[in-house]
Parts: sequence; C-alpha cells; structure tokens
Amino acid sequence: MLANRFSQSVLAGFIFAFAAATAQAEPVVNQPAPVFSGATADGTTLNLADLKGKTVILEWTNHECPFVKKHYESGNIQSLQKQAAEQGIVWLQVISSAPGKQGHVDGETAKKLNSDRGATPSHTVFDPEGTIGKLYAATNTPQFFIINPEGVLLYKGGIDSIPSADKADIAKAENYISAALKELAAGKSITKSSTKPYGCTVKYAS
Amino acid sequence: MSVNRVISAGMIFLLLGCFQAQASSFEAATGQVKAQLVASVDAVRPGDEILVGVQQRIIPHWHTYWKNPGDSGLATRIDYELPAGATAGEIQWPTPERITTGPVTNYGYSNQVTLLSTLKVPDNIAAGGVFPVKAKVKWLVCEEECIPQEVDLALELPVVLPGADVGRGSPLIETARAGLPVASPWPVSLAHRDNALVLKIKGLGQQSASIGNIWFFPDDWGRVAHGADQPRHIEGDTVELQLKPGDAPLPPGAKLAGVLVVTEGSGSGSVARGYVVDVADSDTAPKAESELVLASAMLLALLGGVILNLMPCVFPVLSIKALALIKHARHEPRQTRLHGLAYTLGILASFLLLGVILIALKAGGAEIGWGFQFQSPLFVLAVAYLMFTVGLSLSGVFSIGSSVAGVGSKLAGRSGYSGSFFTGVLATVVATPCTAPFMGAAVGFALSQPPVVLLAVFLSLGLGLALPYLLLSNWPSLQRRLPKPGVWMDRLKQGMAFPMYAAAVWLVWVLAQQSGINSIVVALGGMVAIAFAAWLYEITKYSAKTAQRTGLGFSALLLSAALFGGYFGVQTPASAVAATNAETANTYWQPYTPARLKELRDQGKPVFINFTAAWCISCLVNEKVALSQDAVIDAFKHGGITYLKGDWTNRDPEITRILAEFGRSGVPLYLYYPAGNSARPVILPQILTPEIVTQAVAPPDLAVKQ
Repeated sequence: MLANRFSQSVLAGFIFAFAAATAQAEPVVNQPAPVFSGATADGTTLNLADLKGKTVILEWTNHECPFVKKHYESGNIQSLQKQAAEQGIVWLQVISSAPGKQGHVDGETAKKLNSDRGATPSHTVFDPEGTIGKLYAATNTPQFFIINPEGVLLYKGGIDSIPSADKADIAKAENYISAALKELAAGKSITKSSTKPYGCTVKYAS
Repeated sequence: MSVNRVISAGMIFLLLGCFQAQASSFEAATGQVKAQLVASVDAVRPGDEILVGVQQRIIPHWHTYWKNPGDSGLATRIDYELPAGATAGEIQWPTPERITTGPVTNYGYSNQVTLLSTLKVPDNIAAGGVFPVKAKVKWLVCEEECIPQEVDLALELPVVLPGADVGRGSPLIETARAGLPVASPWPVSLAHRDNALVLKIKGLGQQSASIGNIWFFPDDWGRVAHGADQPRHIEGDTVELQLKPGDAPLPPGAKLAGVLVVTEGSGSGSVARGYVVDVADSDTAPKAESELVLASAMLLALLGGVILNLMPCVFPVLSIKALALIKHARHEPRQTRLHGLAYTLGILASFLLLGVILIALKAGGAEIGWGFQFQSPLFVLAVAYLMFTVGLSLSGVFSIGSSVAGVGSKLAGRSGYSGSFFTGVLATVVATPCTAPFMGAAVGFALSQPPVVLLAVFLSLGLGLALPYLLLSNWPSLQRRLPKPGVWMDRLKQGMAFPMYAAAVWLVWVLAQQSGINSIVVALGGMVAIAFAAWLYEITKYSAKTAQRTGLGFSALLLSAALFGGYFGVQTPASAVAATNAETANTYWQPYTPARLKELRDQGKPVFINFTAAWCISCLVNEKVALSQDAVIDAFKHGGITYLKGDWTNRDPEITRILAEFGRSGVPLYLYYPAGNSARPVILPQILTPEIVTQAVAPPDLAVKQ
C-alpha cells in the first residue's frame, strides 16, 4: 500500500517533470526565444542568431487567409511595418504553409505579393516543413512574436482585440502590435505581452 | 374585367411578397454550410419565452467553432434583430468536439450543430399579428482553408391569444437541447500541482471501465493548452485530469469554467455527453487560512460537544455519572479522576470508530452524511430499544448491580473503570441522533476534508461531549459546589426516565417512516418483551438460585425474541412496503420482467421501459435530468403508462436478449410501447431531455395535430 503510494507519487513526479520540460520548449515571454534559420524569398539563408542586437518581429502569414487579407487590404499591417522600420526593427514574414497547401508560395511570388500590397517586411522566411512554426507553436495567421536585441521574447499573440474577418472592426479594436511598438519606442516594457491570436490555422504539412 | 385583373394582380403581388419573405427567410446556404432558423413553437403568445436555434449543416470535413474556438478559428456569432421589447439571450452552446489538425487543436462542430438562444416575446405584442425574428449569423468555416461567412435569416411567428396552442415547433430544438452540457452529477474540484492544474472528478472513477475519453474544454481561451494531452489518473473513485496551463493561465483566485466531455463506450456505440464545470482552485486559499478554518471547525465541534450534554438523549446518561460522582467523589478523589478519564476515553474511542467508519465508507464511494447510521432501520430500532431499556432502569423497574453508577445500561452498568468507559460509549451512541441539527456545519466541513481533518473534528466533538464530566472529576473545587447527596438523587434519576421514553417514541416514529406502519407493531411489541424481561429479571434477582436462573433464562429468551423479532420484522416489511408504495410514493417505476411486460402488452396498455445499470453514466444522467422530472412523471401518469425499469447492473441474460433484439449490446435503451396490442415499440435516443420523453409518449392525436 505504502509502496504503491510511493510509486504513484514518483510516477506523478515524472509526469510533471515532463510537462514542465515541454512547457519550457514553447516560447515563453521573458525567456530566450528559440533560434532558427530558414530560406528567404531572396534565396539567402537567414539566421535569427545573426540578428542579435536588433529588435525582431515575426509575422506568420498566408496571403490567401481571409484574416490576413483583412489586415493587408485595409493597410493595417503595412502601416505597422513602416512604424517598425522607423524604429529600426527587423520585420520577418514567416510562411509555414506546406507545399500544396494554402499560402505556399515561391520567392518570386512572395516578393510580387508584397510589392502589390505595398508591404515592406525586411525579409520573408519560408518554413515549408513547419519547423519554425512548431518551434514557436504558431497556430494562426496572422500571429506575431517580438524578440528584443538580447534574443528574449517580449510579445506573443494576435494583431488586435476583435477577432473577426471584418475590416470595419479594425478601427474599433485595440491594436496590440502598434501599442507594443510605441511602448518599445518609449523604452517601456510591453503591457499586454501575451494575447489571443485569431485567424486561419497555419497550414502545416501534418 | 378590370376588377378581376386588379384582384388577380393583387393576388400575384401578395403571393410574390410571401415567396420573397420565404425565400430570404429561414434558410440560407453557402458552399459549405446550410443554415436555418428554427423555433421551439409554431406560434407565440404575448410574454412567452421561446427557444430559437440556428442550425448549421456542414459539409463533410469542414467545421465551425465553439465559444472558445481553441488554437485558431472564430466562434459563430448571432445577432438577433427583434421587435421593440423583445430580448434574446446568449447562445447556448452544445457540447463541442476536439478537432486536431497537425499541431493545432480547435474546439468546434462538424456535420451539424444547432445554436440555441432564448427569446422573450414582449407582453404588449398584439395577437393576430406576427412576431418577426431576424438573425444575422457570422461564422468561420474551416477544413484546411478557412472561409468567413455571413447569412441573414428570418422567421415570422404568428402571435396567438394567451392560452392558445403554440404547436410543437421544430424537432431540431429538442435534439439541440439534448446536446447541451448538463450539471455534473459528480462533485468536481480543482487543485494546483507544480505546473499543472488537476481537475478531480469524484465518483466518476467507479464507472471508469465504461469510459472511452474524457476531455476538458475551457470556456475561456488559453486557460489550458488547447492541444495538450490531458492525462487521466484514477485515485480510488476519483478521476484526476491533468491540465496544462495555456497562454492565458487561470489568474489566482479565478474560477475554471468549461465543459467536461465524457465519452462512454467506443466506436459507433459511443455516447458523448458534456458536463458543466465551474470550480475555484481549492489550493489558492493560503495555507494559514485553511488552518484557521480547521481551528474554527474544531472549536465549533468542541462547543457542539459541550452542548450535546444538554440534549434530552444524553443528559440522563450524563446525570447518572454525575450522581455517582456526588456519591463517591468525597472519599475517593483518585478513583474519581480515573473514572473521568475512562469515560472520556470511551467517548473518544467511539468517535474515533465512527470517524474511521465514515472514512471507510467515503473511500468506498458512498454518498453519506453525518447520522448515516440512522439510515438503517435496524440501527434505529436498536437505539430505540436501548433508550427504552435505559428509561426502564432509570424508572427503577430493574437495576443491575447495586451502585448508582451502574444503572446506565447493561454495558455501562459494569462496575469499575470499564463501566465508565462504556458509559462514554453509550453517551456517544445516544448523542448521535442529536448531533445532526447542531453540528451540521462542522461535521459537514469534516466530511468534505481529508481523513486527518475529519478525525480531528470528530475527536473535538467527542472531547466536548466528555468535557463537563472530565472537568468535574478532575477539579475537587468544582465537586465541592455540587449539592449534597440525598433522596433528591433518586427523584431526579426517576424523572430522567421520561426524556428517554420520549427519545424512544421519536425513534419509533423515525422507524415508521423508514419501514412502514407494521414496523411500529414490531418495535412496540419488542418493548413490551423488554419490559417484561426487565421485570422478570428484577423480581427473581434476590430469590433462590433456581428461580433466579429461570428468571434470567426467561428474560434472555424475551430479549432475544424482541431482537430477532425486530430483525426479521423490520427487514422483511421493507420490501413489502416498497411494493405497496409503488403507486403513491416516489417509486413510480416497477421492476422489469418479461412476464410483466407481456401481461401489460396483452392488456394493450402503454409501457415505457428503461434499461439501465448502476455503472452506466448516461443512464444515471438521463434518469436524473429527464426520467425523474415531474413533467415526465406526470406524462406517464396522464397517459396511464407503466414505467418499467430493467436493471442490467449485474448481467441478466433476459435483458441482454431484449437489448440484442433492438440491435444493442449495452445500456441505455429506452423503449416506448404505445397503447394497443399491435403497436410497435418506439426506440428513444440515448440522450434524453424531459421533452424528448414527453413528446415520444404523447397521445397520437396530439402528435398528429401539428
């Protein structure tokens, strides 16, 4: 009986140790952000570690997703990209759509899409195997992560506070990214550092 | 000609108008979803509260979302546009499913779902007109891709006079109601363990064999990691689900709200049902606070124990001890102290035993409260006999030994310290019926606590009961304040007999409630036998040896007659009583036997059969939420329907056969045989609401009317 108790607690201990380990694997705000490297639309390889010393924004995207369209067709994301660029922040678009799935594009198409939309990210990173997406537990498009110059995650979450595909809601919503950029510019910490993302499911291969 | 033309043009116009209203109205379809607006009625009366629902029929592999859509997605939104004065309630969300796509987990619906809302019809709406219901419905439907869609639906319900028939509305409403989560039949609690939340579902463990899946769906986004496994662990009768906190963890002190979805069985025969969970984290209260709670519960128990001394059932027993004390205290202070300790030990041992029994029963999963022992008619009878016997002894009908200390009862009458010990036991036994009303709070608290706390509270209660006598026997200064011994002691003792008789009367009344009128005869007859035995014992006590032996023998014989008579007299009527009460009391069902069914069918009587089992969760929930509801009982009564219950808790080949006949391999199975010898049985769904049952058993003329 006592032995049984003991073995149960040991088992429970292992389970929690395991749960804790997996919890650590996900990006946690105020913890170091996972490092990655990936091919860009320009045909180069981008290494996150090389961007140390700069603030980095990751934007998961899928140009065919209605929620992404909402924020590009309204010019919402473009203005955030400009705001970030003015603050010297590196903006990375990440596309985790697997080949054959919605939003999967080649380098040329990616560049054309951005120029057509007037979008100005620093780079577009391709993640067809979903490695980076799963490293960051990205579930939605659009979804954002902000990493400080020391490589620590400062923000993860959605673009704004009203989950809908309706452009009319943008003006009414609280824009989390815009607020975070302003706080960064003022040298403050981000008030809402973990928010609920909304949008389409990231189109992983599996 | 022109008149005709005008009329026909007008007709065409009217018809067109109607068609247009119909066409744009209750149905709309997109490439993935067909939506329709339905109501629980065909017409409304002013002031009515009705249910409306938006049904989504979704093409295969696509899904729409629950109120918390999970990792991605968007909950369906319905904006009702209603006439002034009418209001619409929140969406009542049916039990969701887990939809997993790679690393992303969503909560939503596939195939079809009906989202219900309550509508309040204004009081001032005019009969003869219509009550228009417009709904703007926005949803996101996803397979691989996601498409936000929006439709406008409208429904016009005629307004009829108060009291008029409103029809049955759409059957989709009832189906949807059956899919709503219900209150959890098991107590659910929440604890924190390291990095995880642990949801404890007490009582579900007993049915673990029949459970396929258990998933907790949080109402709010990110409370738990949506896609994480929820490891299940069974601890006694409790199922523990480990929940990994998500991106919006539960703030300290907040409640965890959501739906617990339990799937019974597997494959095509499985039944999933949702249970509403809304629990506070029991560990968030700081430790000091719970210690304070424990301390105050113990103090309360101690005070309660002291008060117990004044109870009519305890006071006489205690007074006997006190009288003995008065007699002996002056010359034997040391012995008096030891008697006090023995008495205290007797009480504490009894309370400890009670506590241990309670813990054992609790561990066995029994739903018990304080005074559980009084649920047994035999125990009640035994205590009634005991009270009566003590009363007789106090009245002086008989006495055991010669010392005043010995008159407690047979057990308590033993002289020496064991006598004092058993007086303590006796005091506990007679005190228990008085405990419930006074100690409810503390004992209730103790019952919900871990064993150690439970025992602590129980022992405090016992200590409180023992305290006055313990103090008295240990403090000579207190003893000096006691009155001098004298004749008054005998008078007091005799007077004390009457509360004992009164307690016995009360217990006989309790017994009558439990086992019916016949048990009174048994109990009173037993008391006559006891009185006779006591008298025989007393008159032969000081006679010659043979007479003494005969007297003792007869007394013993009578005593055992009373006890055995009680045992069999109270045991057997119990079932007989249940049978006679079948029509009147709360047993509105009869046990199923094939013979009984055949007999009823041959008479052409309508029959409702419920095949159930104690280990079948959905059976028990259905009985609770539907079959034992007044509406259903009334419907059975009005329809002259006999309700038969087939218990499959233990395998029963007869029931197995009839289950197989209806293509089932397990319970629940609900059958309704309408009136008439040749009527074919109707199979009801495995998840019931009162309305599903009442509609199924409604007389055919009513059913045809709509």
